[in-house]
Amino acid sequence: MQGKGLLIGLSVTLRHFFGRKETVQYPEEKLPMSDLFRGGRLVLNEKKCIGCKLCAMSCPNAALALTVEVDDQKKRHMKKYVHKSGRCLYCNFCVEACPTKAISWDKNYENACYYKEDLTYDAVARNKEGINNEQ
Amino acid sequence: MHTGLLASLAAFITGLIESLLGHGFAAQLIMVLLEIIAIFAVISLAVIIQVYMERRICGFIQDRLGPNRVGPFGLLQTVADMIKLMSKEDIVPEKANRLLWGMTPMLLFIPAALVYAVFPFDEGAIFADIGIGVFFVMAIMSQGVLMFLIGGYASEDKYSFMGAMRAVAQMLSSEIPIAFSILAVVMVTGSLRMSDIVSAQTNVWFVCVQPLAFIIFIIAMLMETNRTPFDLVEGEAEIIAGPFTEYSGMRWALFFLAEYANLLAAAILTVTLFLGGWQGPFLPGIIWFIIKVLIVIFIFMWIRWTFPRTRIDQMMALSWKVLLPLALFNIMATGIGIYIYKWIY
Amino acid sequence: MIKTETYQLSMGPVHPSTHGVLQVLLTLDGEKVIKAVPCMGYLHRGIEKLMEQRTYFQCLPYTDRLDYVSAMNNNFSYCHAVEKLAAIEVPEKAQYLRVIMAELNRIASHMIFIGSLAVDIGATTGMIYPFRDRERILDIFNELCGARMTYSYIRIGGVKNDLSAKIIDMINHFLSALPSMLDEYNDLLTGNEFFQHRLKGTSLLSAEQALHLGVTGPMLRASGVNYDLRKENTYSSYDDFDFSIPLGKTGDNLDRYIVRMQEITESAKIIRQALDGLPEGEFTAKVPRVLRPPKGEIYDTLEGPRGEVGYHIVSDGSAKPYRIHIRRPSFINLQALDTMCRGYLVGDVVVAMSTIDPILGEVDC
Repeated sequence: MQGKGLLIGLSVTLRHFFGRKETVQYPEEKLPMSDLFRGGRLVLNEKKCIGCKLCAMSCPNAALALTVEVDDQKKRHMKKYVHKSGRCLYCNFCVEACPTKAISWDKNYENACYYKEDLTYDAVARNKEGINNEQ
Repeated sequence: MHTGLLASLAAFITGLIESLLGHGFAAQLIMVLLEIIAIFAVISLAVIIQVYMERRICGFIQDRLGPNRVGPFGLLQTVADMIKLMSKEDIVPEKANRLLWGMTPMLLFIPAALVYAVFPFDEGAIFADIGIGVFFVMAIMSQGVLMFLIGGYASEDKYSFMGAMRAVAQMLSSEIPIAFSILAVVMVTGSLRMSDIVSAQTNVWFVCVQPLAFIIFIIAMLMETNRTPFDLVEGEAEIIAGPFTEYSGMRWALFFLAEYANLLAAAILTVTLFLGGWQGPFLPGIIWFIIKVLIVIFIFMWIRWTFPRTRIDQMMALSWKVLLPLALFNIMATGIGIYIYKWIY
Repeated sequence: MIKTETYQLSMGPVHPSTHGVLQVLLTLDGEKVIKAVPCMGYLHRGIEKLMEQRTYFQCLPYTDRLDYVSAMNNNFSYCHAVEKLAAIEVPEKAQYLRVIMAELNRIASHMIFIGSLAVDIGATTGMIYPFRDRERILDIFNELCGARMTYSYIRIGGVKNDLSAKIIDMINHFLSALPSMLDEYNDLLTGNEFFQHRLKGTSLLSAEQALHLGVTGPMLRASGVNYDLRKENTYSSYDDFDFSIPLGKTGDNLDRYIVRMQEITESAKIIRQALDGLPEGEFTAKVPRVLRPPKGEIYDTLEGPRGEVGYHIVSDGSAKPYRIHIRRPSFINLQALDTMCRGYLVGDVVVAMSTIDPILGEVDC
């Protein structure tokens, strides 16, 4: 009969009207991110880094600009580890390419900013400033 | 006769002003002005409440919460939106006919507000209880389409023009079933006066006497107020926003205001004609009236957030091929019914 | 003197229902469509050219960005083509994992289709429910590979990582909830008379027309042509699973909708079978760190949610592809828009566009 489908539809929406709400109230509640979540800024563990530049080589979009210096014991160190996150595809290839697991994501997804320049940052400088000092 | 809450309040204020001024006519004049202001206040307040209601109901139906940040329970969200709209840049299309284009939003509000003159809010609380109340409502409500036509035409935009054309087609198809469904009610009452129609429903509401007319009326009213499933005039997926595609900021807000004023008018008309108006046991008339109107508005909103949109030809087919014959049949059945009723008693 | 004339209406690129930045030039007679010309290119990023400057591994994230609502299927198709070119044998477990993810992504993509169709015909609530349920699939993918849209999960030689017990649990939960979700869409949309009237008998595309236009995927099957690469040209262990190919009869909008709804159920069937029969073993093959496929070329197509996703790769023996051409199903299906719209009303154009289900990232490439 014509009109039966309309009434069933109305009953569905009425049920939802009184039903449980699905949304997450964002600034107060936050969804947990998975362990593998790729996003936010790169954190460089300078103790582990051997300066091989494999991360920059595996990057599809040249988002990493690295400067390596060799100290007197012939050990390679990162002088600058610039991540142009505006170019980043967040494909995780750099993290996977690292032979010593020296880079990781900080899993912060709230990285909107007002200026394009703010998207580019130096992970080594951030380590010096004491941001992300957990390792 | 004036026993309603609103009516006694009005009588009290009249008495107060009369004793202050000592002049009957001046008091009457001030009262008329006060009533006009009251109607505008009611419309503005109702629009704010309705917009809030719509967004909350929409949110709840869609498993969301809707606005809940501005003010307690998000009640001030509409106010915040209005402030935002007022502060927006006023963009005028280059080729538009400025006079007609600018006039439309303001003109649109006139018929939307004018119909409130004949609505009985409570016993005795009616601004102008004229003898042709129902006819007046019909005549004024159909004026709104003229503004859509002017606005759509003056915008010099294809989408607006298409929307305007659709508005005219839709108005024509909705007005006639509305008129014929109301006619059945008028046949039962024998009067076009709004207060008579309400008082005729003391024992039984017309929704029980005229169920078919009620259904036709509700469907046609959805067409008249441009709400889903018949929101073809706006049809945002097809013609963006119809006649008000080119309007922005405060001008658009006026369209919005008129739309919700029309929705409220439709709900009030439904309550008055079919659901016994302000009548009900125990509670004062005005409370009953507000409860009924809110329920009818809820049903309109519930329908809107459930159904998809029809196509223009399907809407016309529904109106002319289904609703109109049914309404005509209903009139005939009502006539026979009244004849038999008179013959028995 | 009254005279009538046709006029041109430019629908898009900024329009609420063009699924992105598509422009459709409509020639109208009143509300009746005489001609509909889709104009594309507003989202062109030159992905095919970009891929020429990257190694075979580095190309992978770009395939995510073609059809961004079914990135798994794009990854899959690309990796399959490269594997064929470089003669890499994929372990059976990896094949099963690929099938599971591709089918999950097909469900997610079809849910987007239901949602966008619903909103295009004005049922806003009908959009919210499928999108809400699709979130559960995205949560699974997020847990699996750390991204919600651009997965890069299927890799050359296998997949990125194995399934954890938690993910298997999430998939099982989703599959058991799926029938009730579909019931809800059926109650809210499919059974609705307004919905049926809008879709039934509009934008007819006969089997012959569909074949002539090169239409593939659910659109072709809705016209009654039994052609699905998963059956026709079995790849990646698809012959291990028992599933049927839903077919339409007339090729109208309603058929295209119903076919996709039924495909969701079939995909769920495949996922369940694949999870039950998940073999033990490696999830990725041994792939050299620098992949240099032999000189030659290959064209390989797989069945995506929108049709055949094909990759034509020309190798000159170096680590970077000499040329990649991508057969994007949305792009080719969009050709049918003109045929589907002529003689119908403006309201039908929107529905026709919706049932073609183009993703503009893929159309413009």
